[in-house]
Amino acid sequence: MLKVENLHVNVEDKDILRGVDLEINEGEFHVVMGPNGSGKSTLALTVAGHPRYEVTRGRITFDGEDITELGPDERAKKGILLAFQVPPEVEGVKIIEFLQQVLVELKGLDPVEAYDLIVKKAGELWFKEEDLHRYVNVGFSGGERKRLELLQAVLIGPKLLILDEPDSGVDVDSLSVISRKIEELHRKGTAILLITHYGRILEHIDKGDIRVHVMKDGRIVRTGGGELVERIDREGFGGIFEEVGE
Amino acid sequence: MTETITIKDAKAIIENQIEELSKRNREPEWMTRIRYRALEAFEKAPHRDPVISEEELLHFIAKPEIEGVPEHIESIDDLPPEMKALLDRLGISEVEQKYIAGLAVQTDTGVIYNEFLKEWEKKGLTVLPTEEAVRRYPDVVKEHFLKLFRVDESKLTAYHTAVWNGGIFLHVKEGLKVPFPLHLFFLIQESALAQAPHIIIVAEKNTEFHLIEGCTAPILLKHSLHLDMTEAYFHEGAKGQLTVLQNWPEYVHTRPMTRAKIGKGARFINTTVTLGSGKSNIGDPRYWVDENGYVELNGILLGQKDFYVDLGGRMYLQGKGAGGINASKAVIMDESTVITRGIIQAEAEKTRGHISCDALLMSDKATMETYPGLISKVDDAQLSHEAAIGKIREEELFYLMSRGLDEEKATQLIVKGFLEPMLKDIPMEFLVEIRKIIELAVSGGM
Ligand SMILES: Nc1ncnc2c1ncn2[C@@H]1O[C@H](COP(=O)(O)OP(=O)(O)OP(=O)(O)O)[C@@H](O)[C@H]1O
Ligand SMILES: [Mg+2]
Repeated sequence: MLKVENLHVNVEDKDILRGVDLEINEGEFHVVMGPNGSGKSTLALTVAGHPRYEVTRGRITFDGEDITELGPDERAKKGILLAFQVPPEVEGVKIIEFLQQVLVELKGLDPVEAYDLIVKKAGELWFKEEDLHRYVNVGFSGGERKRLELLQAVLIGPKLLILDEPDSGVDVDSLSVISRKIEELHRKGTAILLITHYGRILEHIDKGDIRVHVMKDGRIVRTGGGELVERIDREGFGGIFEEVGE
Repeated sequence: MTETITIKDAKAIIENQIEELSKRNREPEWMTRIRYRALEAFEKAPHRDPVISEEELLHFIAKPEIEGVPEHIESIDDLPPEMKALLDRLGISEVEQKYIAGLAVQTDTGVIYNEFLKEWEKKGLTVLPTEEAVRRYPDVVKEHFLKLFRVDESKLTAYHTAVWNGGIFLHVKEGLKVPFPLHLFFLIQESALAQAPHIIIVAEKNTEFHLIEGCTAPILLKHSLHLDMTEAYFHEGAKGQLTVLQNWPEYVHTRPMTRAKIGKGARFINTTVTLGSGKSNIGDPRYWVDENGYVELNGILLGQKDFYVDLGGRMYLQGKGAGGINASKAVIMDESTVITRGIIQAEAEKTRGHISCDALLMSDKATMETYPGLISKVDDAQLSHEAAIGKIREEELFYLMSRGLDEEKATQLIVKGFLEPMLKDIPMEFLVEIRKIIELAVSGGM
């Protein structure tokens, strides 16, 4: 479904990604780990179509179609959704109105249907109806923002969900809710690309099922199964990097 | 500009207009005398308008109507087709369309509100065309007409005073709280005279009201210079809101002149929503605020095409504990220029004032300048200001687009959201229209 081939990305005149290859098929569960600054978010934002991330070499295809040059909205319409590591505040735009418009445009729901659906799903992610009348992310705590990203994922139900650190800054109980929602989406057929620093978010996920990629300096240096997560949790990246000669 | 109009010519024209007005309005002599006093002051009064030169002003006086506006509009169908199409797209009601076409002049809207307002008149609410108020309530009008301005302050105040026509007189008697917003269209005049409505607001002790003036849709005006004057008096404990909605055609220069006296513990929320693409809009309202009184000047502005906007605002905090806020939010598009220069002067102890100015620049040729002025004559006043001028943030746009909204829709959302917090006091029916107009403007459809 998603195929990233020899991807080189330049941001603000710096080469950040230096040849990334990654293939994700329908319904698969992939995890990307790596030290701070290794290029994980850059990969996520580039796949989602951020205009500031310039692809200098390689390409991205989705369902067989080259999407390297497509705008973020068109990628979203094809079924790619990114849950941001740091979702921005959008002053004056009410969550409910924004989500309604998204569901009307993306899913063809009518506004009343959309409203009811949003309120129902919001409850599952611990939002009260009045929270939905707040402005998007404005004044939200880190953990609340992550839950709002998950709410959007649940409502949109994308083919490919990229989650950029949905677990950072999140308290234990919220983490459990988020982890369960990710598992639920995966069970319903959404392919997942999860960026994380810790294995805890995977507590509800079958480790036998996942592919783990380890990034360093803009490249994927090692790919393996769920056991890599436990190893990184235990001993950090040192051993792995040594093995691959980095 | 072909022939030269001398100041003598202009005075002769004004004099004719005064005669016509005093006859048409069956005006008492004292009012006509005020007009003549203004005419005398016109010649020597200074003229310092950054856009309209003295020569141009004299031309406006000689020929106040512009060409190209349909001469006889007898039904909405006589409107220019592009305008009709726009009104339909905005979903403007027929009554309002009539107003826009200049069909529903003051008298028509007078009829609409008549029955209703008669009931309220008994309770102490007077709403009348200013001309009629001059005849029916000469004492009250005399006491409040031209008391906050001097005729010889500028050529514009003199000219306005000499030829004023239209406008409304709102008088709320002690203790009356008007529980519904009064929406009045009163700008359009059928005559060929200048557009110079005069508005008088007298809110007696412990009253409450909300007056909404104008409309959000673009109106068809024959005049390219619009000179309105508002004098508002808030007595102790009065709470009033004046919301002005305007959408000027691109050839119109407006020079709103607003002044208000805010008594002890009184509150005045003065909000102006400007949505059009006029030629220029320059105003410098003044407010004198007594003990524990409060004034709020809110400006919401959508600058399109080459609209030149210069908004001042002076607040004199004269009584202990008085407060003032001057807040503006401007979306500046195309080659539009917006300048804000609010001044708050603290003259008494424990006063507070705040100036804020936010602007969203939508094009490389759009310009914003802000010059906040804070003056304190006491040592315990709290005065502050903040300004933020910027473009749409890429991160926000990307975020909304990554959810499947195209660039236009995402931009519309951000622009509406930018203005939204300032529109909190606008009734829903206007809000819906305002949002639609913003959407159209953002997508270049106005
Ligand atoms: N917009 C940008 N402008 C400048 N530098 C950038 C930008 N985006 C990313 N970078 C740089 O690219 C490198 C990779 O950043 P990226 O955010 O992809 O790392 P990450 O792996 O997600 O790190 P973390 O675990 O801290 O989230 C960093 O050195 C970062 O400073
Ligand atoms: Mg990151």
